[in-house]
Amino acid sequence: MNRRTPPILLLLAMLFAQCAREVFIDLPEEPTRIVVISHFSPGQPFKVRVSLSQPLYDLRDPIVPDKADVTVAQEGVFLDKLFRVRDDFGNVFWESRDLAETGVPYSVAVRVSGYPNADAAGFIPVFSALKPIQIDPASITETPLNDGRLLMTFPLQLQVENLPADKRYFAFYLRHDIEVNDGTGITTYEGISTNYSADGRTLSLLHDLEAEPLVLINEKFWSDNRDSLVINARIAYNPAEHEKPRRLFVEWRTLSEDFYKYHLSLDRQGSNLPLSDPDAVYNNVSGGYGNFSGYSVRVDMLELP
Amino acid sequence: MVARVKALFIFPLLCAAHFAVAQQTLPQTVDFECENCLPTEALVKLSRQTGVNIVFGDRFFGQCERMDIRERGTPFFTVLEKITACAKVSYKASGNQVVFFRKISKYTLSGYVQDAETGERLMGASVRANSDKGVGAVSNEFGFFSLRLDEGEQKITVALIGYRGQTLHLLLAGDRFATVKMRPNISLPEVVISNLSGTDSRLQSVESQQNLPLSEMRQLPMPGGEADLLRLAALQPGIQTGVDGVGGLHVRGGNADQNLILLDDVPVYNPGHALGLFSIFNPAMVSNARMWKGDFPARYGGRASSVVDVRTRDGDLQHYRAAASVGLFASSLTAEGPIVRDRSAFLVSGRITYLEPWIRFFSKRGDLVNFSGDNAGYRFYDLNAKLNYVFSERNRLYFSGYFGGDVFQNDFEQLIIDPEGLQADRYRLNTDWGNHIAALRWNNVTSKNLFANTTLRYSRFTYQSRLGLDSRFYYANGRETALADYGLLYQTFIRDWSGKTDFTYYPDDLLTLRWGGSFTLHDFRPGAISANFLQPGQSPISIDSLANLLDNNEKLGADEAEAYIDVELHPTKNWRIEAGMNASAFSVRNTNYRALLPRFRLHHSGARGWSQWVGFHRMAQYLHQIGSFNISLPFELWVPSTRKVPPEEVRQITAGIGWQRRGWGWQVEGYYKNLDRALTFLTTNDALVTGGAEDASGWEDRIAVGRGESKGVEITLEKTSGLTTGSIAYTLSNTTRQFPEINSGNVFPFRYDRLHDLKITLNQRLARWLDASVVWAFATGNPITLAGVKYTHQSPESDIKREVVVFTEVNGYRLPSYHRLDLGLNARFASGRFSHGINLGVYNAYNRYNPFYLYVDSRSGVQGRAIQYTLLPLLPSFRYEIKF
Repeated sequence: MNRRTPPILLLLAMLFAQCAREVFIDLPEEPTRIVVISHFSPGQPFKVRVSLSQPLYDLRDPIVPDKADVTVAQEGVFLDKLFRVRDDFGNVFWESRDLAETGVPYSVAVRVSGYPNADAAGFIPVFSALKPIQIDPASITETPLNDGRLLMTFPLQLQVENLPADKRYFAFYLRHDIEVNDGTGITTYEGISTNYSADGRTLSLLHDLEAEPLVLINEKFWSDNRDSLVINARIAYNPAEHEKPRRLFVEWRTLSEDFYKYHLSLDRQGSNLPLSDPDAVYNNVSGGYGNFSGYSVRVDMLELP
Repeated sequence: MVARVKALFIFPLLCAAHFAVAQQTLPQTVDFECENCLPTEALVKLSRQTGVNIVFGDRFFGQCERMDIRERGTPFFTVLEKITACAKVSYKASGNQVVFFRKISKYTLSGYVQDAETGERLMGASVRANSDKGVGAVSNEFGFFSLRLDEGEQKITVALIGYRGQTLHLLLAGDRFATVKMRPNISLPEVVISNLSGTDSRLQSVESQQNLPLSEMRQLPMPGGEADLLRLAALQPGIQTGVDGVGGLHVRGGNADQNLILLDDVPVYNPGHALGLFSIFNPAMVSNARMWKGDFPARYGGRASSVVDVRTRDGDLQHYRAAASVGLFASSLTAEGPIVRDRSAFLVSGRITYLEPWIRFFSKRGDLVNFSGDNAGYRFYDLNAKLNYVFSERNRLYFSGYFGGDVFQNDFEQLIIDPEGLQADRYRLNTDWGNHIAALRWNNVTSKNLFANTTLRYSRFTYQSRLGLDSRFYYANGRETALADYGLLYQTFIRDWSGKTDFTYYPDDLLTLRWGGSFTLHDFRPGAISANFLQPGQSPISIDSLANLLDNNEKLGADEAEAYIDVELHPTKNWRIEAGMNASAFSVRNTNYRALLPRFRLHHSGARGWSQWVGFHRMAQYLHQIGSFNISLPFELWVPSTRKVPPEEVRQITAGIGWQRRGWGWQVEGYYKNLDRALTFLTTNDALVTGGAEDASGWEDRIAVGRGESKGVEITLEKTSGLTTGSIAYTLSNTTRQFPEINSGNVFPFRYDRLHDLKITLNQRLARWLDASVVWAFATGNPITLAGVKYTHQSPESDIKREVVVFTEVNGYRLPSYHRLDLGLNARFASGRFSHGINLGVYNAYNRYNPFYLYVDSRSGVQGRAIQYTLLPLLPSFRYEIKF
């Protein structure tokens, strides 16, 4: 070993040092369980999506059991046995003949052979209505975009008529229709999702859900006896292609606590990015995973001037 | 001396003993005359005349002159007092007898202990009178001491580790003010002795017990060879850090923002560089540092977990000196000297790093997310300055300043090939953050036993990042479209202006009183983002991407006032009572908070080195650091308590037992800590895509209020003298948190909860000029939130599918255990007026891949595959230092 050997050894040791490496860990193993997803609203049948949970590393599509026994009970008394439905897109769910009602405690039981039974309970909360929504034509602005389109912007005030003292669980969603009149006829693009902006505080307390076409309003938004949500609707359209926004649909939901907590926990999961701080998923399905919860809803249509 | 004492008792004149007859009571009045008499003659005459047995010593009246006395019908005691007025005596009458005693006066010896060579004031020196009573005191953080002694000749011993002991012979005939100059004992090995005396609680002051052993700091192997104060603190039991120091100090289950870190009495809001790998405390500047783990006195307020009180050196009043050091990561230069000899001095020190080659090296090899750019660069710097001016023996003025920060930049370019053309993205991030600190301090010895310290303070922490994204698409036909072109400026800061006055009063050697108050004006800017559209009327893509990033120009002011009283009482030689009360008020946005925070600690020093103690402490905190990642990173926001964000509150109970003798010691301390109110920030994912710059709009409504609990036992075994020294510090603890909004309201482990935490340090003196150090640290792995199961969320009414990873429990999984071995070799030698130091070391000697973060690679399809990120692999260290 000559005099240079020790420094070279040190240098080599440093070169081989790596900051990231592949490891194999024993993750918490959970048995496969039934997944129950159902959000129900007044006057609508219960629709329950049933699938099975998967190991984290399973890259296959979710498994939907061929046979499942799905029943709904009302106040603990059997109400209906749901039937299997396959929609036009090939999605499979179970649907009831009976319709859900506000304020009634419901429960669902799902049995799939070979897996633990899954049970859950939920109800539809009383609807908290909004005061009439108005669009002031004078408040509408249009800004040209560099691709030739126009950006229509106008304020919307969503004011709750009687804000409850607690459990202020609400959500909204905006859609709009655009008509295209090219002289040969009128074509309408319906239900386009409407973008919005707001002040920083408001935006920080809105949760644009990835799992549902819905914007969840954090219950803390209503602190200080605030009863109004003010946002700016933003609709981009192309006048050169004879587009014109025609109608705005404001969907307003009053959510049950189970609905609210479940979707809030999904939103707080983060993206599994390094250093993110995910929260546990809220689960109200005993023996399984998922969410069985109700909401009440109303959709207002506003004509755009 | 012994002969004199004998004389006092042998020569008492039992005057007129033969007159001790039947007369049993003292006369009411007497007629008495004595011309040209000494007091002794007058007393004898009075005794004979009245038949009263008068006992006295003739030495009592050695200073008196002859006198004439003529009294008619004067009360007997008045006559006695007139005769003896010239002497310091008192008497006691009983039956037919009057006994005179010598009245012993007490005087105050006060002053400073300072380094004889540099004039540096020395804290923690024991000043003890060598008498039967063993009266003693310990110099405070400014080197001041005060003790009450009997008049007459006194032998005073002054001792401090690392200095030659001083013995002073004083004739006390009045109050004395003295400056004790101590010479460093260069022949002493640099060993650490925590307590100077075994049983005398008066010499185990509250101040000196909490000292961090700075001599170890330069010996222990640390990354890059950079001696680091906070890393040294982290070797104490009960103190956790994030992996390899990232994430701040977590003392007994507290959050990193719950540590009051003071630099020359000024709060430091970001004490770390490089996300916590290094502290801002340049070792060349540090004079002493003390740390309290929650059981801190009432004079410290505003934080809920711990206090780290760092004092910088004053600068040499007599000689010019300089020191320079060069290491693998950083270099520093220090200069000091007199401006006017023995009157004023300066001390300037700067440190700068050259980490960029290392960052580039590791970012290329390590594929780290944040450092993935082609031109990643990082550096930090510190600049300390201190001036002091001695107005008089009793007045001294100091100015100290600190200016330091971190700079990170990352340019990233990527090309995405598309069938229609080419997309070119250029991402630029420039980030800088740092502290500015200043203190103007006036030390005043107001009276012989009253010390005052008045400080004007300024502290500011700022974080700023500039983010730019330029994304363009180049079509095959040569056409070019701007997809995104914008810049973001993100700023957050906290700024304090404050004034503080502290008084220390030493009424006698049994009691020390401290009281004082402070007033602070806080300014906050919690996370302001401003977006700059470089082109008016952007494309829809950029508008959408910025939909959630709006101006937040919120600025907040808050006032904080604090008053305290601390009592340190030594009722006997073995008992010490520390009791205090901290009263504070905080005002923000018309919301006022007040708190009364009691502090109590009872300490007993028994025979043969044994000691026991119990304590109860209550703390409150009005300032909070809230963050996107909850690991105490610099861009996490400092915010005040408001109406919606209540102050954090902590109660802690401690009890311990210890033994220390002949260079060996051990102690066991148990604690229970209740975080009555703990805060955490409910983040959004925006922070992850903006490099941590999260719009803080609505922050008050995004804070969750919960509670926490921590309990544990800390065991320390140490050897503090001899050629081999070292310590073993073990902590067994459990820490939890509970928030209604998190983990479905269930209790979950704290992010830095570790059941076992063991730190072993060993120093071996190999030769007079050479020593070796070893550190081995082990800790239970950090909790992390992981999932083993997933499912797909899809409503029957919707086509949207969302993969849901079932995180069943927050922090329910443990990373692998943390352990590492550090080795160091330190050599010191002198040649002429130069002294040299060489430090060689290896951090993480066996290259343990300690996990900093674990990323579950679920898309790999391979069961259990994860990517583990390690911050510090094996790191050789080298540092050369020269002083002259």
